This record gives sequence, structure tokens and C-alpha cells, in this order.
Amino acid sequence: MKKITIDPITRLEGHGKIEIFLNDAGEVENSYFQVPELRGFEKFSEGRLAEDMPQITQRICGVCPEAHHMAAAKTLDDLFHVDPPGPAKKLRELLYSAFYVTDHTTHFYILAGPDFIMGPEAPVAERNILGVIAKVGLELGGAVIKTRMQNHHIIHMLGGRAVHPVFGLPGGVSKGLNEDERKEVEQIARDSVEFAMLSLKVFDDIVLKNKEYLDMVLSDAYTHRTYYMGMVDEKNRVNFYDGKVRVVDPDGKEFIKYAPREYLEHVAERVEPWTYVKIPYLKKVGWKGFVDGKDSGVFRSTPLSRLNAADGMTTPLAQEAYEQFFSTLGGKPVHQTLATHWARLVELLYAAERLLELSKDPEITSTNIRTIPTATPDEGIGIVEAPRGNLIHHYITDEKGVIKKANLIVATVNNIAAINMSIKKAAQSLIKPGKKITEGLLNRIEMAWRPYDPCLGCATHTLPGQAPMEVVIYNSKGEVIESLSR
Amino acid sequence: MGNSLLSDDGVGLCVVAELKNRLDQAEITILETGVAGLSLLDLLVGYDRAIIIDAIQTIDGKTGQIYRLGPEAFDTTRRTATSHDVDLTTALEFGKKAGLAIPQEIVIFAIEASDVSTFSEECTPEVRKAIPTCIEMVLQELKRG
Repeated sequence: MKKITIDPITRLEGHGKIEIFLNDAGEVENSYFQVPELRGFEKFSEGRLAEDMPQITQRICGVCPEAHHMAAAKTLDDLFHVDPPGPAKKLRELLYSAFYVTDHTTHFYILAGPDFIMGPEAPVAERNILGVIAKVGLELGGAVIKTRMQNHHIIHMLGGRAVHPVFGLPGGVSKGLNEDERKEVEQIARDSVEFAMLSLKVFDDIVLKNKEYLDMVLSDAYTHRTYYMGMVDEKNRVNFYDGKVRVVDPDGKEFIKYAPREYLEHVAERVEPWTYVKIPYLKKVGWKGFVDGKDSGVFRSTPLSRLNAADGMTTPLAQEAYEQFFSTLGGKPVHQTLATHWARLVELLYAAERLLELSKDPEITSTNIRTIPTATPDEGIGIVEAPRGNLIHHYITDEKGVIKKANLIVATVNNIAAINMSIKKAAQSLIKPGKKITEGLLNRIEMAWRPYDPCLGCATHTLPGQAPMEVVIYNSKGEVIESLSR
Repeated sequence: MGNSLLSDDGVGLCVVAELKNRLDQAEITILETGVAGLSLLDLLVGYDRAIIIDAIQTIDGKTGQIYRLGPEAFDTTRRTATSHDVDLTTALEFGKKAGLAIPQEIVIFAIEASDVSTFSEECTPEVRKAIPTCIEMVLQELKRG
């Protein structure tokens, strides 16, 4: 059995490993996407004050700290049985929207963009942000930096730091906005809306108008018909910060809709021998293996899923973009994984518009930003939509708020089954007996998981050419016959 | 820079915490961060020189070894991602092209880590032993300026 390994994965948070197993005929028999495990979180959390969790959990990863911060803050509200005042919720959502703008911008231009803007066959040295700005112009590169910087500034304004804010408290937030700050936020929001519209245009010009790319987006190799999960408000429109979790089936029909406290009734976890991560699936459908379809409990939790699971967007330009998205791709739900990149840009626009909306809200400069909790804490569950999917925090404490048990289901974990399926299907369609395996081909396989924007949570650096890399070759009986390291 | 929750991944932050006690000059800014890539770029802008202290893992490295590197050492990692956005070299080049005031000189002190995936606010013993040496190396580097 021959083995091709792509390791480490390019342009990805942390490091992961893909192993592709060919059979004797040279066809892909199976593939595995390995996630490195971060061990001991439960033990680490025991004995800590729940109120510290927004600061602690946001340090788990330098990529979406704000998502952990928000999930932790909402968990604290639930834990202490306290409802934040309206202005506090709006301020949280304002900071969160600014964060979404930075995160989705980063992903599209730095991680996903190069594949399309340079093309999957472009030389490695060009398939990055430098190639992108060489092609679309330095001005756009400057706009990317500016948009990120400005929105980090908003986070800094409210949270005291650009990336790891101190902000969420049980029952509210620690800082509000004065009128001068509000004006600043409003201007940044306007610039961000413009930037989002420009980004959608870039996607339209470079991807949708390019037949080869459009064919790739629509191709079966990158398509799976799964259930889709996303948080929605009371009118079933996309909301990243608050609401209920809605799941639609592969035909787009609502399957379940639940409040955070009910998640254990609906999502179960499966243990697979080859990965440390436990794989979530829909309890009421059941685990049928790494397959899609209505009878399989595999679901996806991504920007694409959120658009599929909702009935619309709350802001006008994003709603227009949402409608255009579905009408171009042939209606709801959309099953083509590569369309996730487009969905991400629709969300970018929504985040920017929502930021603008909130900055103009009459309550946003209110000083009523905290309700002090009085109830005894016991158990709390908080859910938000992180950019890369549904994120759950769950704490059980003693009566003083000291953690006895803490569990997190991080966004990317929801997609582990789907990511594996996407890689396998792409690999099967691309690797054929006798066909030469090129860099471009391997990149097209990687393009199968990049839309999921997976976060593997680790930030150490490796020296070039000396990446700790292990290639393990298994025979068809699953026994190790050779192992190499570079 | 580093992750203060993941054992040795936070060693850079330990070094910097001690440096804060030893250095008090207006022209030196000491920052702690958990980010890399483009976000690191945001922090570097406007300075003439930068010293970055972080954990590293190499295939033949001995835990606790300290390397003094320049950004060019990471040149061929342009394809290899170490974080959500771009690696250091690409971020710096991008910044330069976009006209940002990037430091003329960047020196990286990297300490060979053992465990970067277990939740703990403590470094492993061998890595902890390297901290005083690294501090001295940074102080020497600053004198060189």
C-alpha cells in the first residue's frame, strides 16, 4: 500500500496531519485527518474561579480568543442565573462583530484567497498573501491591514487589549463606550462595510466569473449533503452572539432547534480509535459512519451551515448578498463545500453592517452595563457561533463559583467528521492509478478542508526542513510495516 | 510570545516577565502576546529593533537549547503555517510591501520546548532551567545595540 502524506498542513492554525492510504491498484482506500490533542483541560480548570474563565479560555488559542471570551461570558450569565441589561448585550455583540470582521477578513485573504486568486496550480512560493497582493494590487493589501487594525482597535477600546480583551462579566461587561468612542466605532464600521462589499466583488470577479473555478466550486468532488447547524434569532435569522441553535436536514427542512441548556439531548460524541478528538453527531439521527445523507448524524457547523440553517440575515446588504448566494448556486441548502468561502464573505458583510447598526443604537453609550448577580452559582452552559462553528462552554461549580468540572466543545470539533469526508472524497476524485501526483494536486486536496477554517489551537514554531514529521506506513492488515521521520 | 496555558509554549512569556523586572528604559517596550502572523506585525510596527522570544520545536533539538535566529531562518517556512494566518517571514514582507514601518533588525531567541500540548501554566523542568540563560542572552543582545 502506498502512502502520500501532506504534513504539516499549510496555512492552518497549529499543525495537523493527513494520511492517505492507497490500495494495491493505486486508488485511495482511506484517509485520516489527525488533530493534535490538547490534554488536560478539565483538570486544569478544576479549582479555578468561574469568573476567570473569560480570560483563561481566550488564551487557549490566539485565533478566536473573543469567541471563547463570549461563550465564557454567556456561560457565566447562565451559571449565576443573571440576565445582563440590554446595553451590555449590545456592547458584547458590538465587540464580537468587530472581531468577526477581523477574523473572516484574515481567513479569506490569507488562507483561502490564495487558492483562488493565484490558482491551485500556482507555485507554492506565490500561493500566499504576497501573491494575492501582487495580483489584485497593493491597495487591497493595505485595505486588509487597515480593516484588521481598525477593528482590533475597537476590541482594544472596550477590552483593554487588541486580542485578549478583559470585558465579559457575569451579568454584563466591564466597560462601555462614550460618545467620542462611539463616533470612532461608527466610522470604522462604515469603512468595514465598504471593505466587505469590495471583498464580495473580488470574489465575484476572480472566482465566479472564472469558469474553471466555478466548475470546481460546483463539482461533486467537493460536495456533501449533510445536516447544517447554526445559531439563529427568534425570526430564524443569523446571529453570532445569541439565540437558539437550529439544525436543518440535507433538504433544508428544520430538524431541531434548541436552547443551550438542551444541547446534550441533541448532540452526542463518538470515539474513533485513530483520533483523540471525540466526534460530535446528531443523537436523534444516530451515527452511521463517515457518510452524508439524511440518515447520517454527521452535521456541519461553518459559515455555509449558518446560511443554510437560517431563513435570512437581519441587515439589508447582507440579505441581498444572501439571496444572490442562493439564487446563483441553485437554491437552499447549498451543499458545495467550496461555497463556504463565499458564505464567509456574506457573513463578513453582515458583521460589518451589524457593527454599524449597533454603533448607532441609542442605548450603546448607556452606563447601565452590568446586573450584579445575587443567585448561587451551580451549572452554566453558553453557546456562541465562533467564526469556524458552534462553540459550547459548560461549567459546573460549587456554591462559591469554584469550578468542579468544565467542558468545551470547540468549533472545529463539530466538523471533524465532515472534514475527513471532504478530504477523502477530494482525494478519491483526484488520485487515480498512473496519474502523477503533483504539488497542485496535493493542494487541491488541501482545498477540501480549508473552507472549514480549522483551528488546531497550537502556536509553536518549527524550523524549516525540520518539522517534526512522522510517516507511518500500514499494510492492509493495519500493521505498521515502516515508519520514517524527517 | 507564547501560549501561557500550554506548558512550554509559554516559556517566552516567562522570560519576558523577568525582563520587565530588570529593564526600565523609555526606549524599550516589553510586550507579551499570544498571537503571531499578521497580528504580530501590528505589534512590531514603529520600532527600530525587535527581539522576539518564543518556544520552538525542532526534530533533533535538545529540550532547553536556546537558538538565536533571524527572520531569514524561517524563510522556507513560507509554505508551512505555524498559525492561523501567515508565518513571520511572509507577514514581514507583506508589511514592508504595504509600507508599514517594520523594524530594521529582528532577532529571535527560541527555546527548544518539550511539551506544548498539555494544559499547564508551568514549563517543564528542562525548559524552566533555560530561562535564566535566555534572559542573559537577551540582555547581552540589548547591550550590542
